[in-house]
Amino acid sequence: MVSTPRNLREILGAVTKYELGGPLLALALLVAASSALSPRFLEPYNQRILLLQTAPLALIALGESMIILMGSIDLSPGSTMALAGVVSAAAFRVYGFQLHASLAIGALVGLAVGAVNGLLVTKARIPSFVATLASLVAGRGLVLVLTEGQPIVGLSQYRVLTIELVGVPVMVWLFILFGAINYVLLKRTSVGLLTYAIGGNEEAVRYSGVRVDIVKLVNFSLAGGYYAIAGLMMNARLEVAYPWTGWGYELDAIASCVLGGIMLSGGVGNPLGPVVGAYMLTLLTNVLILLGVNPYLQWVVKGVVLVTAAVALTRGVRYVK
Amino acid sequence: MFKLSSEIVLSTKGIVKEFPGVVALKGVDFDLRQSEIHSVVGQNGAGKSTLVKILSGVYTPTRGEIFVRGVRVRIRNVRDAKKLGITLVHQEATLVPNLSVAENIALALYGVRGTVFARAKEKELLELARNYLELVKLRIDPRSKVRDLGVGERQLVQIARAIAENADIICLDEPTSPLTSMEAKVLFEVMEELRKKGKSMVFITHRVEEVFQIANRVTVLRDGVKVFTEDVSKTSPYEVIKHMLGKELEEFYPPRVEAKSLSRVSPRLRVVSLTTASNGKGVKLEGVSFDVYPGEILGVVGLLGSGKTELGKALVGAQRVVSGEIYVNGVKATIKSPVDALKLGIFYIPEDRRREGLVTQLTISDNIVLPKVFKTSSMSLIRQAQVERSIAGRWIKSLRIVPSDPSFKVANLSGGNQQKVVIAKSLETGAKILILDEPTFGIDIGTKVEIRKLIRSLASEGYSIVLLTSDVDEALALSDRILVIASGRVTNVMENRNLSREILISMLGGQVG
Repeated sequence: MVSTPRNLREILGAVTKYELGGPLLALALLVAASSALSPRFLEPYNQRILLLQTAPLALIALGESMIILMGSIDLSPGSTMALAGVVSAAAFRVYGFQLHASLAIGALVGLAVGAVNGLLVTKARIPSFVATLASLVAGRGLVLVLTEGQPIVGLSQYRVLTIELVGVPVMVWLFILFGAINYVLLKRTSVGLLTYAIGGNEEAVRYSGVRVDIVKLVNFSLAGGYYAIAGLMMNARLEVAYPWTGWGYELDAIASCVLGGIMLSGGVGNPLGPVVGAYMLTLLTNVLILLGVNPYLQWVVKGVVLVTAAVALTRGVRYVK
Repeated sequence: MFKLSSEIVLSTKGIVKEFPGVVALKGVDFDLRQSEIHSVVGQNGAGKSTLVKILSGVYTPTRGEIFVRGVRVRIRNVRDAKKLGITLVHQEATLVPNLSVAENIALALYGVRGTVFARAKEKELLELARNYLELVKLRIDPRSKVRDLGVGERQLVQIARAIAENADIICLDEPTSPLTSMEAKVLFEVMEELRKKGKSMVFITHRVEEVFQIANRVTVLRDGVKVFTEDVSKTSPYEVIKHMLGKELEEFYPPRVEAKSLSRVSPRLRVVSLTTASNGKGVKLEGVSFDVYPGEILGVVGLLGSGKTELGKALVGAQRVVSGEIYVNGVKATIKSPVDALKLGIFYIPEDRRREGLVTQLTISDNIVLPKVFKTSSMSLIRQAQVERSIAGRWIKSLRIVPSDPSFKVANLSGGNQQKVVIAKSLETGAKILILDEPTFGIDIGTKVEIRKLIRSLASEGYSIVLLTSDVDEALALSDRILVIASGRVTNVMENRNLSREILISMLGGQVG
C-alpha cells in the first residue's frame, strides 16, 4: 500500500472509519468485480434469485448478530430453522391448521428454542457455545424424529412469501423489514443499549445493578424467532419442508456477521452489517456458479474470503481466543 | 554515580516504561546484590509489577538499560530473561492446573532447552521433580495435579520450577498476598535457604512488616519513581510507609470541613459480623461490623490486600457472604447481587474503573443512563434521546466532565473524567448509600481535589458514604469516622478528631498480617 496515492488512502481511511464503511466498500468491490467477470451477473433475473437466496441467510445472520454483539455465540440457527419449518409444515399439512396459524406456530417454535438457549445460558450457567451446540444437535434430532427423515411436501400455499409485491418478492420485503426492526432494536431501544454494553463489558453492567440475565434471555428468544422466519422462508422457496434444511447454516450466519463487521469479541458492529455480510456471502456463491467454478473449490474460496475479512477486523487486537 | 561492583548481579539504569496514556516507570535505577533478598514496596500502581516484568522479559522497557553481572543485556522476551537466569514467579500462578506437578516442572525445562519434542521418561521426570520439590521443602507427590494444590503449595511449585530453570535471580511478584501467615512463613524459610545457596531475589510485597521479616534491602517506588532504597537494618517500618504514601500531596487536600454535628440516631446501613467465603483469591473478611449514618462518610482505611475491596463487593452481593447480617434503614436485607443492592439504594463504585465500572466503547451518555435505561425509555423500551441527553448534560455540567459532549466515547476520556462518569451513573440511580473504592486512585491532582470536594458535598446532602481507601490523607481529609482494616478484620474504629497522620500510619504498618 506504500505506493497508493495519498488521496485514495485518505478516502479509504474516511470510509472505514464508519462501522459499516468497510463492509460496504468490500461489497461495492465485489459487485464491480462480479459484473466485470460475468455479464449475466447484473441481469434482473439473476439479481432476483440472489435476493431470494439472501433472504433466509440475512434473517439468521440478523439473529446471530444480536447474540454475537452480546459477546456470546449461537450455534443453533440451522437446526432451529429446520425445526420451525418442519413443525409449521406438519401443522399445515398433517394437523390441518390454517396457513397463517401454521406460520405463527413455526415462529413460536423458534422463540421457544431461543428461550431454552437463553435459560441454559443464564440459569444453568452453561457457556453459550456449549448450550447452543446442544440445541444444534438435539434440534436436528427432533426434526428427524418428527419427519422420520422424510420431506413434507405440498406447501404450495407458502408461496405467499414468494409472490411479488411492487415488483419485489415478499420474502425480500421481509428481510428489509427485519433489517430495519433490528436496527431500531439495537440502536434505539433500552435492550439494544444493554446488548452492546454487555458485549462491551459485562462486569461493569452487572455492577451497575442491571438484570443482565433478562436481556440475554430476550435476545436469545428473539434470535430464535428470526431463525424460525428463515425456516418458513425455506418452506416457501422450495414448497417442501426438508429435514436437512439449514444444515451448516450456523456457520454461514457467523460468517455473515464477520463479513458485516460484527466483532466476535462482542460490543462492536453495525446492526445492518449482517445483512451486507449475508448478501456478500450469497453473491460469492452466485458468481462462482456463474463462472462455472468447481463447486468444491467454492468452499475454499469462501474460507479465504472469511479469513481476509477476519484479518481486516482484528487489526490492532493483540490476542484473540 | 552509577558504579558496578562485583557483587551486583543485576542492575537497571533509567528504566522508563510507557503504556498508552500512562507512564508506569519514570526512569528507575535499581540494583540487586548477590545472595540478597531485595524487597520492592509501593502503593497500588507505583510500578512494582512493571519493574519485575521488565526484568523478566514480560514487558520490554521504553527506554533504559539493564545490566547482568556488569554486562549490558537486552531482554526482549521471557526466553531471553531465562537464558540470563532471571525468572519471574507470577502473582497469579502460571502453572497448568490439569497437569501434574512433575509435568509442570518439565514444561519449564522444555521452554529453556528448546526441546519441545524431547521424549520424557516418566520415571526420570518424577525423580527430577522430587529433587526440586525437596529444595523448596514441599513434600507432595509429584504426580498430584496442580489443581488439587493449595495456593501456598502452588507458589512453592513455581519457585521449584524457577530453580529447575537454573535461575539465579528470582523475581517474586507479591507471592504472599494469597497466603495465610503460616504459608508465608514456610515461603520465607525457603527463600532464606535459597539466599544462603547464593540465589538473589527481588521480592515484591505490599505488606511492609514482611520486608522486616525477610528482606536485606528495601526499595520504595511511588508513581513510577524510586523514592527510597536502604538496608533494612538502617530503616523502620514507619519510614518505609511514609515514603510509600508520599507527603508532598498534602497541600492539595481540601481543608477538612467539620461535618455539621451529625445526628446519629438510626444508622442507614448496619453491618453485623460480615464474613465472606475464602475462595483462594482475595482476602477473607472475618466478622466485620460497622454502622453508617445519613450524611456520614465512613473512611475504611487499609493497605492493598487488607480486604477493603472485598468488603465493598460483599456489600453489593458481588462477593459471597457466608455469615453476618446487613440492615438497611433498620430492616434486614438480603443482598445476592448488585441488582438487589440497587433496590435498597446501595451502589458500589469499583476501584478498577475500566474493568468493572465502564463500558468504554460506549458514550458518556450511554454509560450514565445504563442502570436506568428501562426507566428513561418509553414503555421501558424505546430510548428517548432527548431525555438521555438532558440527563447526561446535567451531570456533565454539575460534575464538570470534559469534554462536555454527551456522545463522546468514554475510552478517550482521562482517568479523572472517567471516574466522574462512574459517579454520575451511581448518583443517577438514586442510590443513597455509595461505596467508593479508591475513588481518586490514578487521577491527576486537580481532578482528585474536585472529586474529594464532591464526595464531601454529597455527604452534606445526606448521602451515606463508605470510602474505601489506602490513602491515609484522603481518609483524614474526608471521613467523619475512620475504620482501619487489615487482613480482613477491623482493627480500629475511631472518630476522626485530632487524629494525626503519624498515628494512623502506624496503625496500618503496626499490623502483622
